[in-house]
Amino acid sequence: MTKNIGIYICSGCQIGNSIDTNKLCDRMSGELNPVVMHSHKALCSPDGVNLIQKDIAEKNIDACLVAACGTGVKDDAFRFDNGVLTERVNIRELVAWSMDPLCEDTDMAADDYLRMGFAGLDSTSITTPFILDEISEEILVVGGGVSGLSAAIEGAEAGYRIHLIEKNERLGGWASKWKKQIPFDEPFEDLIDPVVTDLIKRVEENELITVYLKSGIEKIDGQPGEFVVKLNGSSIKVGSIVTAAGWRPYKPDSKDFYGLGVIPNVITSVELEEKVSAGKLPKVESVLFIQCAGSRDLEHLSYCSSICCGISLKQAKYYRDEHPDAIIYILYKDIRTIGFLEEFYKEVQDDPNIIFIKGEFETIQQTGDSVEVIVQDKLLGEQLTLNVEQVVLATGMVPNGTDDLKLGYRLGEGLPELKYEFPDSHFICFPYETRRTGIYAAGTVRAPMDIPSSMDDAGGAMLKAIQTIEASKRGEAVHPRSGDQSYPELYLERCTDCKRCTEECPFGTYDETSSGTPVVYPNRCRRCGICVGSCPERVISFADYSINIISEKIKAVNIPDEFDEKPRVLVFVCENDAMPALEMAAREKLSINPYVRVISVRCLGSINRVWISDALSHGFDGILQIGCKPGDNYQCHFIHGSELTEQRSEIMEETLSTMMLEPERIMTKFVEITDYKGIIDHIDEYMEEIELIGPNPFKDI
Amino acid sequence: MLDLRPDIEFKKELERISGAPLNTCMQCGTCSVVCNLSPDVKPFPRKEMVYAGWGMSDKLIGNPDVWLCHQCGDCSTHCPRGVNPADVLSATRQLTYRKYAMPLFMGKLLGKPGLLPIAILIPVLIIAGIIFAAGTLKIPEGPVNYSLFFPHAWLNASFSVITLLSYLLACFGFGRFWKDMNIHHSGTGPKMGLFRSFWGVKNDIFAHSRFKKCEENSSRKVSHFLVFYGFILLLLVTIFAIYAAITEKYPLALTNPFKIMGNLSSLMLFTGLGIMIYNRIVAKPGSERSTYTDWLLLGSMFLLTASGVIVEMARFLDWSLAYYLYFFHLVCVWFVIIYLPYTKFGHIIYRTIAMTYAFSGRRK
Repeated sequence: MTKNIGIYICSGCQIGNSIDTNKLCDRMSGELNPVVMHSHKALCSPDGVNLIQKDIAEKNIDACLVAACGTGVKDDAFRFDNGVLTERVNIRELVAWSMDPLCEDTDMAADDYLRMGFAGLDSTSITTPFILDEISEEILVVGGGVSGLSAAIEGAEAGYRIHLIEKNERLGGWASKWKKQIPFDEPFEDLIDPVVTDLIKRVEENELITVYLKSGIEKIDGQPGEFVVKLNGSSIKVGSIVTAAGWRPYKPDSKDFYGLGVIPNVITSVELEEKVSAGKLPKVESVLFIQCAGSRDLEHLSYCSSICCGISLKQAKYYRDEHPDAIIYILYKDIRTIGFLEEFYKEVQDDPNIIFIKGEFETIQQTGDSVEVIVQDKLLGEQLTLNVEQVVLATGMVPNGTDDLKLGYRLGEGLPELKYEFPDSHFICFPYETRRTGIYAAGTVRAPMDIPSSMDDAGGAMLKAIQTIEASKRGEAVHPRSGDQSYPELYLERCTDCKRCTEECPFGTYDETSSGTPVVYPNRCRRCGICVGSCPERVISFADYSINIISEKIKAVNIPDEFDEKPRVLVFVCENDAMPALEMAAREKLSINPYVRVISVRCLGSINRVWISDALSHGFDGILQIGCKPGDNYQCHFIHGSELTEQRSEIMEETLSTMMLEPERIMTKFVEITDYKGIIDHIDEYMEEIELIGPNPFKDI
Repeated sequence: MLDLRPDIEFKKELERISGAPLNTCMQCGTCSVVCNLSPDVKPFPRKEMVYAGWGMSDKLIGNPDVWLCHQCGDCSTHCPRGVNPADVLSATRQLTYRKYAMPLFMGKLLGKPGLLPIAILIPVLIIAGIIFAAGTLKIPEGPVNYSLFFPHAWLNASFSVITLLSYLLACFGFGRFWKDMNIHHSGTGPKMGLFRSFWGVKNDIFAHSRFKKCEENSSRKVSHFLVFYGFILLLLVTIFAIYAAITEKYPLALTNPFKIMGNLSSLMLFTGLGIMIYNRIVAKPGSERSTYTDWLLLGSMFLLTASGVIVEMARFLDWSLAYYLYFFHLVCVWFVIIYLPYTKFGHIIYRTIAMTYAFSGRRK
């Protein structure tokens, strides 16, 4: 389908100082031959927008190429009615602000970006959103503890019907087993009654909440908007799911764990809590709490459970209330009382009978009725001997797995676990999100936390669950490409059932038929395009992001011949962190080498080898891929896009060797969003390397 | 290996006297860093704050470092948690006077404000008893002559004996203090002779060279210097006066060099005490805390000096109240001189001992 393309160039924001936009119009209108081509001094102003809208109305323009600032800025001004495509070319940051003004190389860059934009626009088609025929607006909540109850209440109060399932005979979870709870509001002096009682009452009274006790999930199929949950032999349909499966106390495998199970005076904090609830707290003169018992310890749990310090302070109060002369020792590595817990900590500090010792546990042994503990004090550097009647181990929290969800996904029944076995998709930027779209984790199943935090967390996760339902009604993606209506479309005639897409999709978008052909669930998709990069047969494409579109952009770049001594390097930049970093560099007035041509990609994982071979055979001297940092402290917005790029580098090297090219012609670098200096350094260093290697022999062909 | 056995009562008493919430200390070490007096190795008051939080009375009392502190208050000013380490050390020193008091009840008698009436009644009754025994317990007629009220021989003899007795008993306490320092702080124990060590700290005492390093309360050096030398001069004058009384040349004429020296030293005492009292009254909130022990010493010294001057004037002006004032003056003398080992004034002994001990262990 041929398009009526209009090109609009902005000279505002000092673009005009670097690029003579009138001359750019003159050069490009002849070459690209658009229906109309204008230069305007402020394209985002009402006058500029009117100019475009008039052309749309009068000259039937159905595709606009806006060469001004980039995506993310002034998006509303350049969004036109349905049926009109817009392609943004960022000549502001990538050319005008970062290259020498009014010189040949800068003009060549501006020309190329226009050519690339034009070619991309020409091969892009209109996106028609994928919308399910029937969308369930009900929400499943898994787990009836504090988080699950709170999530159910939040969802019901927002007007959604909630199905709350609990495997035990009654609601409340761990929190209903405690006698008292740490106060989380003024005054912080006294322990309060557990709030979970009130939550249970509110859930039971709410008509929008259906509670299923002693229930387990048999299977979950489908996708956001139409999950089918098999439960107790029947089946319900829900739009999204909140899992609040909770935690269990850490139980060490080893026999030699602080004398636990060997010395009767040694108990864990959960065991103590059970004694208190049963009214069996012994009246003792001296108690030692050992913090981080099996936490922040590479042999046990390597993380901090964040609640044990608060719990021990609370339990110290249990003993103090029982016995006015009891001496309580708290042996700690660091007291970590997060948020309002600090206020409670300060209250407990006022009690002189509580003795805080910063140190490391060394040995424990029974001496008659009491226990002798030897401790290495960290402040004085001395060994201390303590004789106490009772030792309480503050053990940490372990997340309950999510396999009980029984997902009928090709990639497994549970949610994928990341660091420390917590199901999470991106712990910095997207809390609650798991790697299964439409399923959100709340409370201690996703991170150790206390009761107030779990209640807040439940609210957050429930909002995400509601958002998914609403987004699926519009056929839109959720975070991080919120609002994106494109979705993967498969040209299955060419599919070889290689299963690469079904394995590499981080979000389980694809299931398989028995023969291995991918079955796509568009609502599970986050639109990262990793499947586009994975497919060797170029089967998968999005309406506005496909192998063809990027290939056309690559081929549109004008490659000067070898004797011009103007090398060309293609830089694939991930739109999530690397692109903002590059734009930031331009705003900070750093120079971008004028010989590079930047193409923004959804994720490094979406780079298909075809683009590499196209670029090299087109005459690019090198290819630099810049994305988010991979690894455990990951920054990658799509979890393992950056890792996949590293894994695929072998295939890339193979591509290079079949073309008889040096392996250095492809390079991958990782940056953080704030590292705008680093991204410029990476580009400059790579340019130097390319100068050394010399021009691409394919240039002349 | 340290056997941790907290003395919670001691911890509570420390908190009560110092007003410092001991568990609040987060061991950042700012106190030791800002302190100009603290040694480089095992500096105070950080470790003392740990011991205080644990109620380790043995590690605090009988700890020479507590006496290397001159309560400049630099640590308290910079403490981010408002724990006021200077006041904690000061409270420890108060508890030291109490612990080593010999007989023990004297420590309580002078450490608790509730017992002040008894502390006053004791010298009143004893002095009155001595005068009664001398047979002069009535206001004499004629021009003011104090020896008619309290014969010099009786006065000098009885006061000298009681003072010596008090100090002799106190020496047992000082001995226990030395022993405790040896037990609990053997690492810093004596490595050189006693006299050589004392010679080493003479400048700290006589030139106030440690005081000079204070930043927060720099005026303390001046006031302490005035009181210190004012008191020493008065002591010399008193000894000469006793000698003069024995050789029947008493009272001294106003032009007598010793009399002039006496009056000059009263002036020094007045100035020094005035600055000290002023500083404590206008003290900024959060700075050095003034406790009963502080006020008891300052008050009795001030009253001693003031009543001494008034008694002298009363003699020249022939005031009718002169003998009552004289009696009051003698009670003040009792408080400052005879009670010395049990009040804050005892620091001249304890601090000297501790500084000598620390010096002998090469702890600087």
